[in-house]
Amino acid sequence: MTTSISPPDTVPEEKAAGHRMPFWVNQRLGLLVLVVALSVLFGVLRPAFLDQRLVLFPLLRDVATLTVVALAQMVALSVGHMNLAVGRMAAFGAMFAGLGYDRLGLPMPAGLLLCLAAGAAIGAVTGWLIARTGVSSFVVTLAMDFALLGLVSLLYSALTEDAAFTTRPSGIDELRSYSLADICAGPVCGSPAVPQIAQFTVLAMVGLGFLYGCTRIGRELLLTGANPAAAELSGIPTGRRVLLAHTLSGLLAALAGFMAAAGTGTFRASIGNDFMLPSFLGAVLGGTLLTGGVVSVLGTLLGTALVGVIRKGLDLLGVGLESLNIYLGCVLLLALSADRIRTVVSYRKVVRET
Amino acid sequence: MNRFNVKRIPASWDGAALRRFSRSTAAMLLCVVVAGYLALGVASSGSFFEGPSVRVFLQYLATPILIGLAQMVALCVGQLNLAVGALGGFTACLMGVLMADHGVPAGLAVIVGLLTATAIGLVTGLVIVATQINGFIVTLATMTILLGAQYRLTGTRTVDGYSPTLRDLGTAAPLNIPLVFVTALAAAALLAAFMYRTVAGRRLLAAGGNPLAARLSGISTDRQIVAAHTLSGLLIGVAAVTATASLPGVNRSVGGDWLLPSFAAPIIGGVALTGGSIAVFGTVLAAFVTRLIDAARAQFSLDPSWVNLLIGLVVLGTVAGGRLHQTRLGKTGGTAAPPAEGGKQPPAVLPQPGGAR
Repeated sequence: MTTSISPPDTVPEEKAAGHRMPFWVNQRLGLLVLVVALSVLFGVLRPAFLDQRLVLFPLLRDVATLTVVALAQMVALSVGHMNLAVGRMAAFGAMFAGLGYDRLGLPMPAGLLLCLAAGAAIGAVTGWLIARTGVSSFVVTLAMDFALLGLVSLLYSALTEDAAFTTRPSGIDELRSYSLADICAGPVCGSPAVPQIAQFTVLAMVGLGFLYGCTRIGRELLLTGANPAAAELSGIPTGRRVLLAHTLSGLLAALAGFMAAAGTGTFRASIGNDFMLPSFLGAVLGGTLLTGGVVSVLGTLLGTALVGVIRKGLDLLGVGLESLNIYLGCVLLLALSADRIRTVVSYRKVVRET
Repeated sequence: MNRFNVKRIPASWDGAALRRFSRSTAAMLLCVVVAGYLALGVASSGSFFEGPSVRVFLQYLATPILIGLAQMVALCVGQLNLAVGALGGFTACLMGVLMADHGVPAGLAVIVGLLTATAIGLVTGLVIVATQINGFIVTLATMTILLGAQYRLTGTRTVDGYSPTLRDLGTAAPLNIPLVFVTALAAAALLAAFMYRTVAGRRLLAAGGNPLAARLSGISTDRQIVAAHTLSGLLIGVAAVTATASLPGVNRSVGGDWLLPSFAAPIIGGVALTGGSIAVFGTVLAAFVTRLIDAARAQFSLDPSWVNLLIGLVVLGTVAGGRLHQTRLGKTGGTAAPPAEGGKQPPAVLPQPGGAR
């Protein structure tokens, strides 16, 4: 990929596709067009697709949650690492929130904070292990996934009767079912399609956009991902940056776990079971490189939205659950191949012109 | 000078080789297996050493060994295969459906299954090389596709009305040693012979160890990647055959829990994720260790979650311990600098972004 050569220049949203590439190479623009085109297509084929309350609202709620998951993966990818334990970290964080509500009777914000702290802590442990031992992040997070999978189910079965915390603090039901239409500023109301829970996603995106776009630490994270040896030689404490990236990844995963739990209403061990695939799909489709050094916050949202729209649209078209995965896998391969072809073609064009 | 010394080590077989083995991961694992087995035997007051227990223990060891080996082959060229479980499950269901619903004789169905798994591995490798997309993503995509295909084949039912001959073979155990276990060991032996003794095997290792050097010495890394995925597919096919033969029936959940053990076995066994190294014996022993944990869990009737927790901790302990051991060796040796604090290994995770250039 040509964009990975000069990471500090290619980071933020607008500049990403390089300086002399034609505009249609911009992956995010392509994604946006694809998402809109597919939505229109599905809307024409099945008018029910554009039903704001019954279809778009749950779709956007899923997209909001999965975007946070994909952001958690993106942060780990930004330093060239992976977090295979995103789902389990989400379950781990959500368990603490549920525990806080059930046993300690915490109010909702306090439980959320507890959840985030637990996620950040487990992320920090992972990051510390990776930085300290120098073992590949793939292995460490895979082992962490195993360990948390066991630990979370054990704790749930030890602490609860039916393996779920069902106590709901006041406010969490509103979080689940409220949309912008329920929050009115005078006579102006928002769209009933946009769920209130998306506030967390927006917060996370703004925060990460600021971190990677405007701060020194963000640049150092990317440089650590792009070339760890060069980063170390230029005086960047790469160990601490790795630790930071995994801590953030754990924090975001826990946030996603909380959002998923709020969405379904119960805190159970199965939260996050199906997070791993979407986390990579969203981040990679959005243009984040697996090798590190290039991230795209906006692209992650668009990538997740694309997957969500395809899933929902195919579902409405009557494609059975069993075939859905086949199509999704094919779409992933096609999208990435197309991206590859586009990059190669435009690169040749640029080379020919110069 | 130093280089020549290194070269001569394999020649001096007397003592040196034994000493080297005693320090290796395999030796440690062997001790763990023997000690664990004895401890379990004592804890169960001897019943664990009796015929039926041994048979059950070995019966369910075949699949972990085979999927561990399949993953190891992919790892040895620096690739990952996330589709291990999905491909295994799909192949098992395909064979089950062919035999039960279409009346295909067992022998033919097994051959079709093996060929299908190999072909899917081949296609995966070709896609990785042709599109130059990272192998991680490609196998993630094939995993998704195969999961869908498996669900489509079986739906929610369990296919169990297939050939009694195959099932007899699957449960047959002369001298309390199940045939499926013998199959797995034979596959491991063949794989070891292939990897250590043939040119094609050495090429795989060379391409994984240093792609650039391999390319410069006339080895096509692209072809090695395709070969590794094909071989991985074949091994998964064998695993699917043993699973179909020894399970009471196949459904959509077959293969669902294969992915994590498939990584655990090679990693505990001492295979580097960077490629270029294999450890057939170590992988087999590591599969033994994970099976021991499972057997212990059954013995003390604990929650199945304990197995995951323990395997996770064992993998973490193995990699961290191995790294600390290396660091200490480096310090006492005084030559090789210990890895600087702050794991600078990211390329190690995915050594070949986009297959090979």
